[in-house]
Amino acid sequence: MSDATKGPVQLAARNLTRHFSVRTPGRLLNARRVVRAVDDVSLDLVAGEVVAVVGESGSGKSVLARMLARIVTPTSGDLVLQGTPIAIKSKRTLAYASQVQLVLQDPFASMNPVHRMSHNLLRPLRIHGASKADAPALAEAALRRVSLEPPSRFLESYPHELSGGQLQRVSIARALCIEPKVLLADEPISMLDVSVRLGVLNLLRGLCDDDRLAILYITHDIASARYIADSIIVMYAGQIVEQSRGTSLVDEPKHPYTQLLVASVPDPSDPTRDVPPTGEHAQIAVAEKGCRFNPRCPHVMDRCREEEPPAFVVGENHTSKCWLYADHEAAVEVALSTRRREGETATT
Amino acid sequence: MTTDSMGVDDVVATEVPPGALPTTTYGPIVATTHGDAAMGERILDVRNFSVDYGWGENAVRAVDDVDVHLDRSTVLGIAGESGSGKSTLVYAITRLLRAPGVIRGGEARFNLGTDDEGEHIIDLVNASERELRGVRWSSISIVLQSALSALNPVVRVGSQFEQVLKSHRKDMSKDQRRSRAAALLAMVGLDEDRLDRYPHELSGGQRQRIMIALALTLDPQLVIMDEPTTALDVVTQREIIGELFELRAQLGFAMIFITHDLSLLTELADEIVVMYAGALVERASARELYEAPRHPYSLGLLNSFPPMHGERTELTGIPGSPPDLAHLPTGCSFHPRCPYAMARCTNETPPLVEIKGSDRSVACWLHVGDAGVAVPVELSRVATGTKKFDPATEVAR
Ligand SMILES: Nc1ncnc2c1ncn2[C@@H]1O[C@H](COP(=O)(O)OP(=O)(O)OP(=O)(O)O)[C@@H](O)[C@H]1O
Ligand SMILES: Nc1ncnc2c1ncn2[C@@H]1O[C@H](COP(=O)(O)OP(=O)(O)OP(=O)(O)O)[C@@H](O)[C@H]1O
Ligand code: SF4
Ligand code: SF4
Ligand SMILES: [Mg+2]
Ligand SMILES: [Mg+2]
Repeated sequence: MSDATKGPVQLAARNLTRHFSVRTPGRLLNARRVVRAVDDVSLDLVAGEVVAVVGESGSGKSVLARMLARIVTPTSGDLVLQGTPIAIKSKRTLAYASQVQLVLQDPFASMNPVHRMSHNLLRPLRIHGASKADAPALAEAALRRVSLEPPSRFLESYPHELSGGQLQRVSIARALCIEPKVLLADEPISMLDVSVRLGVLNLLRGLCDDDRLAILYITHDIASARYIADSIIVMYAGQIVEQSRGTSLVDEPKHPYTQLLVASVPDPSDPTRDVPPTGEHAQIAVAEKGCRFNPRCPHVMDRCREEEPPAFVVGENHTSKCWLYADHEAAVEVALSTRRREGETATT
Repeated sequence: MTTDSMGVDDVVATEVPPGALPTTTYGPIVATTHGDAAMGERILDVRNFSVDYGWGENAVRAVDDVDVHLDRSTVLGIAGESGSGKSTLVYAITRLLRAPGVIRGGEARFNLGTDDEGEHIIDLVNASERELRGVRWSSISIVLQSALSALNPVVRVGSQFEQVLKSHRKDMSKDQRRSRAAALLAMVGLDEDRLDRYPHELSGGQRQRIMIALALTLDPQLVIMDEPTTALDVVTQREIIGELFELRAQLGFAMIFITHDLSLLTELADEIVVMYAGALVERASARELYEAPRHPYSLGLLNSFPPMHGERTELTGIPGSPPDLAHLPTGCSFHPRCPYAMARCTNETPPLVEIKGSDRSVACWLHVGDAGVAVPVELSRVATGTKKFDPATEVAR
């Protein structure tokens, strides 16, 4: 888990943006409103590294992952796969799909319910060129990699015969079996049991360290992000609001939203703790102007309602998109007021 | 739960005091009992309950001789490995289990409440479909694990509420139904404008809130939540849990909460049962389970959470993988993964027994007082009984 050897950038995203036009309530004359699902997001997925994305429900993580997988067409922005610019408005090619694989959030929705697992696994293998003779062995090997034993039992099962966790491991196996360079994992462990989770996290980490995969790991479990990621990105309302290499973002969150996020993690070791107000629901409370977090922010200032903050450097390889860090004094004050659980030991 | 599976003719008024039997009837009442069989504060009593998938020699036992019970307005947490039978247990209790799932034995009694005639208890295992329809959703509702895909994708959110209310609240006008739906959405913190959206236009958290609102539509006494917040980010989880517990404080429903997240469960449940390979291996109050687990599997689960503080070190969690139910290990089914396994464990199955002088139980040979068996310190800690976390009031607004 060191930051030592930085590999080649496998997939680079520049200023990715996706807006959706939705009908507004009131139903007057089909009035429409623009949802800025992802706004101006840039990131590099590097061979041998895990980039974790955490953020509010609806903050645009899945839309981002789908744009990177080229299932959703960006409104604007650029993608560069292994140095080659991609024509983002054109159709996704098979070659792209074989390099960049997406594992979805909901395993129940991602498998064809009328087919056995063998079909669900062998089909992508065949599409990506495995011979009829080789495909079953590759599928079995992939199932073993995600600890589904014996593989034959799982190949014969239908989706409804497996538990949620078993099904999610099959979908990871399905993505791995065609040997992609980039794995986009959209909440891959959220439905897994904790004991198996660690196995999958260690597996993802191993795929990075040993097979030099570039991994985007989307999660709401910030402890798991801290556990495997080389860098962590926090999204809010379609934008990156804080990012850091290593764990500094979790250890010393700077953005008020990240501070809320970290404090919301269940922690039975501290039943009397204070959790900051969660504010209004983001879906109602995304500001159209200024900082998008301003309707919920306990530190909101006049400026926040008018101008959108840029990302300020708040530490080594650590930035925060918040006006509090525009001048040093305010920054120090917030860091002090929110430092939590100093010196406390981990729970178990 | 898709909305078309709700089929209740009688509807409970919204202002029912917790625990009281409302004036509207619950449909056919199966048994009226007095004396011995009375349940009192107990709302659900499940005994020796077993469920198989398949028949004959292909049968796989997914739930094995399980006892669970809970009292009115309390929260029971069910924790356990993926595939351990948590969903199967609650689907079978609520009789939502589909073939090839079959209840192979045991009883499940649900207490509808008490009036002049005494207690009204329904035997869920033997109740007819028609009787069950009188109970489901009006008395027991369930938010299914696959809820993220359960909303009908081609039907606007508002119409999904509309359908439920139309078939169960025949007295309501279109406008009343709309405002009831809007009120239900407001209860889970969503704006009325979501009624005009299609499910695919909403994020996972928004859809999950809608599923919770749908489950509360008919004001049930018991709400079963199967992994309701697992796919959500923690702030949303915190909000939804806070809302759920506020609603529980207002409406008084009891809850069965299934989740993999033992930390979360510790914060919100009164009592926790831990399942492994279809069986209960430990039952304890939430604090005791967290601070002083007795079963090696419970301890392993607690040790599987990456910490939020300190150095990053590689964790191994519980070695091995979950057992194949069709080929369960002999003796204690956990023995191939158990660091404390003894000779006895490989051929004798430990029963779930109460630990002397406590109101907790464990199924493990370490704790039966065998001569020469020393209980490891990590499995004999004493809980300090610190204050319980209150999920409802903790969310400051
Ligand atoms: N097809 C669509 N049409 C309109 N709006 C959409 C569409 N897809 C997504 N959105 C909106 O874009 C925003 C981002 O959604 P997205 O699914 O990426 O969130 P997320 O961060 O993955 O949330 P979660 O953690 O709940 O999965 C949401 O406000 C959502 O309502
Ligand atoms: N229709 C079915 N036919 C055969 N086996 C089944 C069927 N449905 C479930 N099972 C098996 O029964 C066991 C229990 O499954 P269940 O869904 O109850 O587990 P769970 O504890 O809810 O797991 P998770 O936490 O992953 O949701 C699993 O081993 C599963 O493979
Ligand atoms: S810019 Fe202002 S409103 Fe936005 S997070 Fe920072 S302090 Fe809060
Ligand atoms: S009975 Fe034996 S194998 Fe089973 S949990 Fe206890 S010590 Fe481990
Ligand atoms: Mg998502
Ligand atoms: Mg389940």
